[in-house]
Amino acid sequence: MRYMRIWGRLATMSFAIQTGHPLSSFGYLLGKLVRLSFFLLFLAAIFKHTSALAGYSLEEAALFFLTFNIVDILAQLFFRGIYGIRGLIREGDFDYFLIQPLNVLYRVSFNTVDFLDVLTILPVFMITFYILKRMPGGLAWKPLLWYTLLMVNGLLIAFAIHIVVASLAVLTQELENTIWIYRDLMTLGRFPSDIYDSPMRALLTFVIPVAVMVSFPAKAYLGRLTGAWIGQAVVMAGVSLALSLKFWQFATRRYTSVSS
Amino acid sequence: MRKYWFVFSIYWQEGLSQRASFFMERFRALVVLVSFYYFWSALLKDRTSFAGYNYSQMITYVLGMNILRGLVFASRTYEIAGEINHGRLSGYLLKPVNFCLYTFFRDLSEKSINLVSAIIEVSGLALLFHLKIQWPHQATSWLLFLLAITGATVLYFFLSFIVGCWGFWTAESGGPRFLLELILEFTAGAFFPLDVLPRAFQDILKLFPSPYLVFFPLHVFLEKLNTAQIINGFLMEGFWILALGGLAWLVWDKGVSAYGAEGS
Repeated sequence: MRYMRIWGRLATMSFAIQTGHPLSSFGYLLGKLVRLSFFLLFLAAIFKHTSALAGYSLEEAALFFLTFNIVDILAQLFFRGIYGIRGLIREGDFDYFLIQPLNVLYRVSFNTVDFLDVLTILPVFMITFYILKRMPGGLAWKPLLWYTLLMVNGLLIAFAIHIVVASLAVLTQELENTIWIYRDLMTLGRFPSDIYDSPMRALLTFVIPVAVMVSFPAKAYLGRLTGAWIGQAVVMAGVSLALSLKFWQFATRRYTSVSS
Repeated sequence: MRKYWFVFSIYWQEGLSQRASFFMERFRALVVLVSFYYFWSALLKDRTSFAGYNYSQMITYVLGMNILRGLVFASRTYEIAGEINHGRLSGYLLKPVNFCLYTFFRDLSEKSINLVSAIIEVSGLALLFHLKIQWPHQATSWLLFLLAITGATVLYFFLSFIVGCWGFWTAESGGPRFLLELILEFTAGAFFPLDVLPRAFQDILKLFPSPYLVFFPLHVFLEKLNTAQIINGFLMEGFWILALGGLAWLVWDKGVSAYGAEGS
């Protein structure tokens, strides 16, 4: 409960900062919505010329794209603070967080809450709901449950990646660009993983698990994912989260303060 | 002009010294290239053509798209707003330089670095995947392509210079710039060829400057246009260069009059 209250306080502060720059915030918000609209328009236009993309219909391909957006936006919404960790270390704020009676990883992760993402994800949810209703079987609850669970699973993997990035920053006081490598690689999940050839698909499943985070939930909803793959996805999330937390402990133990 | 080539040289060296940022930017471009290569390959796997493009033409478009993104869209005009807002513009106004030319040559250094890098990436990918590129059959196509990309580079510079000058009136130009860049990239054909879009949408887009940034030059390269379409394209591109060049001059003139050198 205390942690929820702290999140609310940090979110309010972020909101105040964003509303302090209304024109800029509006531009960014509109930009995010325009990008979403253009990609949906692109997909719809593609399906005027073809009936399938790697065996998927327009609604199914759109589901992959929207799932990518949901996971990507939620990860930004909840773990946005990690993006600024180098600044926190450089300015000495990280040292201040270390002495607060609060989990430091929690404090860093939620230091910034991007409200533009809250406004962006609402239309994404609405379009996803519309797409799911347009599927041949309509909105089915059991697949929807698997879809939701695997998206949460994808978010856990995203969190593990963010923790590794934060740990690297604590260890080296550099590598702030690492998070952008993750963001760029995530865009490979915009389309169904079936468009890639076998080596690339293996890379996106086992090495950089973009497919597990983004394609697996959509595939589970479409009934194209076996129980074994679901089990593997859950194990991957558990192992990556455990290892990233270990790495975080390792990094923070070796932190010797930089500027405070 | 010699001093502007010095500007070019200095920023070229600076660009190469910031290796982490440079490699990040190129990595980002490479991911876009790889994802669209696989996307179009999947679509053209079981068919001979798609929206009027055969496999070789589509792959050439995707590779060319990456090179033109590196050349046309690479810019440092985003720095202008900061220079105005923090008063650093005063330093340039006191020097015997034309600020517009100065920023153009600063942009050229960024563009040339990205161009060389994009050509290396595309060549690497073409060799790795044994891609067949459709080269122009006629020498005039090469000349027209060079002319079209030169125009596209100047056109984008004027557009981004105008956006940079918003800094004269607001300290919040970041968001609007992000929005404009996104719209420009999509409507320029920098993610996909515009012919896949509905006809009415294409006709509307062609009235705006953006298709002349990537889509038109690549169509010239692929020799998909007849003589009348080429002439029409160049006339439109020329019109937009003149119109936006004039607008850039007007905005700069009004902006400098309103400039208060705050923060300097």
